Amino acid sequence: MNAVETWIKNRIPISGEQIREFTNEPVPNHIKRWWFALGGTPAMLFGGQIFTGILLAIYYQPTQAAAYESVRRISEDINFGWYLRGMHKWGATLMIATVILHQMRVFFTGAYRAPRELNWVIGMCLLICTLITGFTGYSLVYEQLSYWGATVGANIADNVPFIGGFMKQMLLAGTVYNENTLSRFYILHAAVLPVVIILLIAVHIVFIRLHGVSEMRFEDEAKDTPRSFNFFPDHLYTELIIGLSLLIILTTLAVAVPAHLGPPADPLTTPEIIKPEWFFYVAFRWLKLFSGTAAVISMGVVVVTMFAWPWIDGAIRKRNPNSELSVYVGIAAVLAIVGLTVWEAVVAH
Amino acid sequence: MLALLAHSQPIKADIMTNSDPTPAPEEMDRRTVLTGLAGIGMALGLTGTAAGLAGIAGQFLYPSGGRPTAWVFVAIVSEVAPGAALPFVSALGEQIAIARQGEMGTVEDFIALSSTCPHLGCQVHWESVNNRFFCPCHNGAFDPSGVATEGPPAKAKQSLSRYPLKIEDGLLFIEVPVPTQVG
Repeated sequence: MNAVETWIKNRIPISGEQIREFTNEPVPNHIKRWWFALGGTPAMLFGGQIFTGILLAIYYQPTQAAAYESVRRISEDINFGWYLRGMHKWGATLMIATVILHQMRVFFTGAYRAPRELNWVIGMCLLICTLITGFTGYSLVYEQLSYWGATVGANIADNVPFIGGFMKQMLLAGTVYNENTLSRFYILHAAVLPVVIILLIAVHIVFIRLHGVSEMRFEDEAKDTPRSFNFFPDHLYTELIIGLSLLIILTTLAVAVPAHLGPPADPLTTPEIIKPEWFFYVAFRWLKLFSGTAAVISMGVVVVTMFAWPWIDGAIRKRNPNSELSVYVGIAAVLAIVGLTVWEAVVAH
Repeated sequence: MLALLAHSQPIKADIMTNSDPTPAPEEMDRRTVLTGLAGIGMALGLTGTAAGLAGIAGQFLYPSGGRPTAWVFVAIVSEVAPGAALPFVSALGEQIAIARQGEMGTVEDFIALSSTCPHLGCQVHWESVNNRFFCPCHNGAFDPSGVATEGPPAKAKQSLSRYPLKIEDGLLFIEVPVPTQVG
């Protein structure tokens, strides 16, 4: 036993004490409230997406001629294909939902404020990467929604001033959807974006470790409540409970509401009623309200404002330290997002 | 190999005993400058190579070549009555609405409208009840001549694009994009 231990210690020169020190970041007490444990949820879902995605990639074929049939085969012929595709689809839905909820929590608790502005920016990058991964994902099915979603998405890029035409050409591999387009979406979805997301998550966590989690005290807390608890095993158990709950929720959704397969892509006919996935309802409704360029520029202004919000908020609070403007801006933004999403959901056109 | 191993220790020992751990100041200066220059040179070389590779990757990813076009026969002019519409699908699958709107017998009688919405590229369809082309994606509408009347295309003053037409020897031709690789 001793010889084995020595062999291992020589090859992996780290002690149990060092591992404990490395993992036992003191976690602020407020994280015991579930609402504050949302950050790890999308990361866990992302892990699940990688697992199911790799399995789906074994049968998926990214060509116009074979894509739809390969997805049909996965859904109907391959053992448990329907389950893994359902898990992947619902995993994406929950991942986007939890990223948004996590961002809302960070926003409304002001956790983005100095010195944590850069981590907010990284979080914004993660939100955008997650949305693009969702978009490129449903483009791969090559059903009607996939084809027209990709066409509309590329033309939205085309409306970006100065570099729009270049972006569209790079995305579509031409001026219109063609035989080289699908492989680009596939590479983005299954290789480029996952790697970028992994790197961003790593930097996100490094920043959390460097700054520590922002601490919060609540009015209903007893004064002698300890300010922090250990990551291991206390918080790890919380994350395990979340992980198990997610598996149950995902399995229930995959079984009860299986991933749908719409009609195959028809480049000659845009369906009479067409809508993107729910997370793009806001943008889709916005695009109906304004001309293309006006809609794209205004959306760009919103995104840039979101990126810069920690500094905008900082400037406001410098003038008025008790300003609660950010809360009102947040409430207005949530109402606008929910309003536009519901509007798009309930009408045909 | 064995000989090499046998020699390895003495050689190392020689180096250790013969090497001077503190070089003369002028030698150290020269060494520092040379090392610095070499470092800068390597960094510049690597940066240049990386930039070159990025450029090549960009060129590789950017779609090469434009879409060639060709004149394609549509109909015999005398067989198309004024007011008639000719649905036409190009070799690339683009739907084109061709209509005769005059009786002069010249190319000005005809109009060829793309069915691709100028807003975000969805396909419009003809609504005879409303006498308009309609885009189901973002509610754009166009009159029979392709001019936008409602929705985002009207706000941006975008019309359905037109394809060039010509008449030769009583035959109507349209200029449309064709595949780059022809069988």
